[in-house]
Amino acid sequence: MQDFKHLRKLIKKNYLNNINKSRKPFIIYKTNKGFDLFTDFSKKIILNNQNIRQFLKQRNSSKRKYQSTDLYIGFFGYELLNNLIGVKIRRQKSINFPKGIFYKPETKINFKENLIYNLKSNQKIDRNFKININQKSYKKIFDKFKKKIRSGLTYQIKICTKYKNKSQIDPIDFFCRLTKSNLAPEAFMIKDKNYSIISCSPENLINKKGSSISTKPIAGTLRKTKKINKKKALNFFKNNIKETKEHNMIVDMERNDLSRICIPGSVKLKKEKSVEEYKDLYHYVSLISGKLKDKVENIDIIKAMMPGGSVIGCPKISTLNLLNNQEKENRNIYTGSFGFIKFNGDMRFNIIIRSILNYKNTSEISVASGVVIDSNAKHEFNENFIKAKALIDLYK
Amino acid sequence: MIYVIDHKDSFTHNVVHQLSLFDDVECDDFSKINKSKLNQASVIIFSPGPGSPKDYPLTSKIYKKYKGKKRIIGVCLGFQQILFSEGAEIVQQNKIYHGFQSEVLVNKSSKLFNTGTKFKVGRYHSLKVKEPFYAENFDITMRCVISGAAMSFENNIDKIYGFQFHPESFLTLNGKLLIKKILSA
Repeated sequence: MQDFKHLRKLIKKNYLNNINKSRKPFIIYKTNKGFDLFTDFSKKIILNNQNIRQFLKQRNSSKRKYQSTDLYIGFFGYELLNNLIGVKIRRQKSINFPKGIFYKPETKINFKENLIYNLKSNQKIDRNFKININQKSYKKIFDKFKKKIRSGLTYQIKICTKYKNKSQIDPIDFFCRLTKSNLAPEAFMIKDKNYSIISCSPENLINKKGSSISTKPIAGTLRKTKKINKKKALNFFKNNIKETKEHNMIVDMERNDLSRICIPGSVKLKKEKSVEEYKDLYHYVSLISGKLKDKVENIDIIKAMMPGGSVIGCPKISTLNLLNNQEKENRNIYTGSFGFIKFNGDMRFNIIIRSILNYKNTSEISVASGVVIDSNAKHEFNENFIKAKALIDLYK
Repeated sequence: MIYVIDHKDSFTHNVVHQLSLFDDVECDDFSKINKSKLNQASVIIFSPGPGSPKDYPLTSKIYKKYKGKKRIIGVCLGFQQILFSEGAEIVQQNKIYHGFQSEVLVNKSSKLFNTGTKFKVGRYHSLKVKEPFYAENFDITMRCVISGAAMSFENNIDKIYGFQFHPESFLTLNGKLLIKKILSA
């Protein structure tokens, strides 16, 4: 028994190196205590507007007992989620990356300790990133959206900027370094044959167990310095009217989205405006929960909650239309959702932010920051860069 | 039954949720109105929403058709929509309130709420009703303590009520009570 444990530990220690050598596709998702790795995929479903409904409606609830691999894990891209709720996106520049992909794993391995990986492969890393919107064009878009806020078409809108470069990276190396520098509760990575995604998303959008559901929106970020502790961070957020208003809006919007699918009176603000501490920053978060109505299916939940409001703006539909008319490039995975749907109906999904998409030897990092009535263009433009920097810094 | 007309807002279902505590509620998009539900309803609610009342002529038409026949309640854009249909001008504010908690004061023209009461409410509006505004049987009954902007009206003859703020917001401390009162007035 002792030997077996030792052996298992040894296998786990070399696991990432071995799986990399084997070239098997796999997914890693942060759990409360460590990480889950899913692999040996028996099915891969590439989603589009035609098959997504069928994918979400399929029931696998005939079994009484489920295994830990009885789930589909993967992501919905931004465009797919828009189309699912009837929001159209006009023709955009596109790299033709799939709109959504889900996998059925046959193996799940839990890592309690830190991920260990010895980089052996050759990476070709370019440090220079190109940004798709310079500060001048950003200011133009910003001013246009501010006018829309004045006329009441939107109350808050997030301008997305994209950083791109040509690199051949080893995603496991990147993910391991990222989890060391910035361990986020919704971190994940996907490595498949022709693409990879690395993310340190901090934001949970759906946590559904049985008939209970919750969402944990983040609105408000503060950089950590030696002078600021958690209590001071809370005071900063509380005394900052702009941050408070932005957060309030998101709380009411998420209450609304849950109210679509929950029993009247059951939607509760469980944690109102608390501060969570991460390695480099503090986040201003709330937790909202509810009890699902009897007849609600997973597709109803996805349609009510996605794309996650806190990264879009408010009100959702009008703001999505404004964004989609403005943006010239496909968002791909950005502000979509990654997570899993268990065969018993339980779900966990995040919002895909703070992520790198590697496809056709191009790395793409998208970031966004919010425009509200009292935002400042230069500040928000720089805020976008700060958000991207944690990822850009991996390229060295 | 209460029929909520949704102007594609991200707060409409908070309104629905709150109303569901008092009666059956049906909710449809303003562009997909179900006529039989509309006819059956005892109360019609105009939801909040983006833009300005002039963007929603269908809602104004419904208002004019059912004024005096059914109880009608407007929230935020819905509040403006009713006053707009009564001839008011809706204009941009100098200071814009989105996600803002402010204090309102009940004035003496209110028949439902105690004069002089102050309470905290959540606001999400770029526009406001231009004053002076006058329409028969309509009284502005609450105002923002600081700016004086119109925050609520009552028409107790035709049973028409409106709030510029959001009674369903978590920022409004006694929203449930407000709704209860105007549903039973």
